[in-house]
Amino acid sequence: MLYHPPCGVFCKVIPINIQLISERSVFNWVFTILASLVLLFIIAPLAGMFIHSSFSEISTTAADHEVQRSVWYTLAIAFTATLIFAIGAVPLAWIMAHRDFPLKRVAQGIIDLPVVLPHTAAGIALLGFISRDGLLGSVAQKAGILLINNGAGIALAMAFVSLPFLINAARDGFAAVPERVEKAALTLGASQTRIFFTVSMPLAWRSIVSGFIMMFARGMSEFGAIVIIAYHPMTAPVLIYDRFNTYGITSARPASIIFILVALFFFILFRVLATERRSTLWREEDASD
Amino acid sequence: MLRTEKLNKRLDAFSLREISLVVQPGDYYVLLGRSGAGKTQLLELICGLTPPDSGEVFLNGENITHKKVQHREIGLVFQDFALFPHFSVKDNIMYPLKIKGIPLAEKVRRVQRVAEEMNIRHLLLRMPGSLSSGEQQRVALARTLVTDPKILLLDEPMGSIDASLRDSIRRMLRRLNRNGQTIVHVTHDFDEAISLANRVGVIHNGRIIQEGTPLEVFNHPVNRFVARYAGIKNFFKVTFITNYRNCSGLTERRTKLKMPKGEYPSSGLLIIGSSEVLLSREGVPGMQMNNIHGRIDDIVPSATGYEITVNAGDYFYADITHREMEENHFVTGENVIISFRPEALRLVGETDNRNN
Repeated sequence: MLYHPPCGVFCKVIPINIQLISERSVFNWVFTILASLVLLFIIAPLAGMFIHSSFSEISTTAADHEVQRSVWYTLAIAFTATLIFAIGAVPLAWIMAHRDFPLKRVAQGIIDLPVVLPHTAAGIALLGFISRDGLLGSVAQKAGILLINNGAGIALAMAFVSLPFLINAARDGFAAVPERVEKAALTLGASQTRIFFTVSMPLAWRSIVSGFIMMFARGMSEFGAIVIIAYHPMTAPVLIYDRFNTYGITSARPASIIFILVALFFFILFRVLATERRSTLWREEDASD
Repeated sequence: MLRTEKLNKRLDAFSLREISLVVQPGDYYVLLGRSGAGKTQLLELICGLTPPDSGEVFLNGENITHKKVQHREIGLVFQDFALFPHFSVKDNIMYPLKIKGIPLAEKVRRVQRVAEEMNIRHLLLRMPGSLSSGEQQRVALARTLVTDPKILLLDEPMGSIDASLRDSIRRMLRRLNRNGQTIVHVTHDFDEAISLANRVGVIHNGRIIQEGTPLEVFNHPVNRFVARYAGIKNFFKVTFITNYRNCSGLTERRTKLKMPKGEYPSSGLLIIGSSEVLLSREGVPGMQMNNIHGRIDDIVPSATGYEITVNAGDYFYADITHREMEENHFVTGENVIISFRPEALRLVGETDNRNN
């Protein structure tokens, strides 16, 4: 009890103890604020876009055949590109996880290269490769396929910039499969191929699917490389850019919203499907934990 | 019959050198060695998971050195069992049968037979992650045995098993061997070797340094390393003094040990089991008996009683029972006499200073 002049009586004064505000709570506050700011930075422009668009604008744009066509076209090409390139990317990921070979680090560097390249530069490089004079382009032309301004060219551009996502995720998945389990399968008489399909793939499945979704999502949103390979037929990102250039932001905004909603829908759908499959696969084991 | 001839393999940390061993049909061969001695690598060489740098492997007379691992008909059970986590127990066991394209009815019959034998019928629909270590061990064994391997290799089969379950696994392995299964079992545990093996090989620094029946190996260890494995703590490097009346060995710290009459080299390594060292205050009468004065340095409780360390210039270790302790009440620092018969001293094959 201390004498407290304002009260004129003896009262209990609680001294502010600096130690009470523990270092831990300061740490928590600072980190929470910083983290919230970053999250806000991501969500604010998107939320603003929704706020600034009226429902009628969005519904009119949604009815626009050109917009509809470009959205479905983008999804279909991105999915096909991911599916086709997975046939080579998954074995590459397995090799990166399981085999040691000279210049392995160089190979890993090559895999990561598309992530660090400016995408327009990637588009220019790819254009040289698939145009009529290019290595792949000339071969394709002999087979009667034109890669420029064409779905095939767009698929190649999407794959070029998004392959690292699938390869790296699948590689981590394969690397996490215990080597002993694969060795055990060998001693039980299984061939390499059988082990790959019955042991390695199922155990790395979760990572492969997750990489697949990331590659699909990244390919779908690609603009820089695609716009150089093919302005037409228009993918959704190119269409949004085209609307912005021709009619301004008010026209580009509803198209963006529609594309974001559809992309999000498929992104979430695939994630849910992948989780479903995983939980069926691991159900009994999880139950035991 | 499994025979390896001068197998050599360079590995990252060390090498397996000149490994030649013979495992007869029906043998229970235990390969004993410290972790990192190359035991697992040797099993991988035998079953073909890694190729040797040189040397050959023969199974029932056939040279299988370059045969594919899938076709060797050698079963290997890993220390951590390596079950397929995404398959049920039944599918784990059925895995090798599916590869062989065996008809369904036959597959089911064989899975049930081996599940019966391993006592895991009630686990067939479970996933491996939900099993105890002992159950996983039995599933891993079942998955290997269903292929009828010509020889079964076990890598530290007790290594990941709870102590309470080891006895039942040990019984099961003995039963398997009695039924004619040839087994090669690697371990670092001396008791495991004694309780299971009819032949033992001791591997050290990538070489097999001694081979024989468990009794031969533990009664006549070739060097200090093997003797230590056998649980022997009393080692004395001695020079032998022989005259017409008696023989004795003089330790480096000048303790004189009476020896039975016989021919001895000029120097050697003597060992004596801790249980053969007697402890008393008045000594044990007898002309030939070794009676050495010393002071109790340490008293450590053990499973059967106490292990007492006596400093008599040299250190002696004596095992005494609870009853002996109750009768004598030995205490640390007390002067005592250690006694043992000359016949209890054994001369170890070689003087080996390197393997302490």
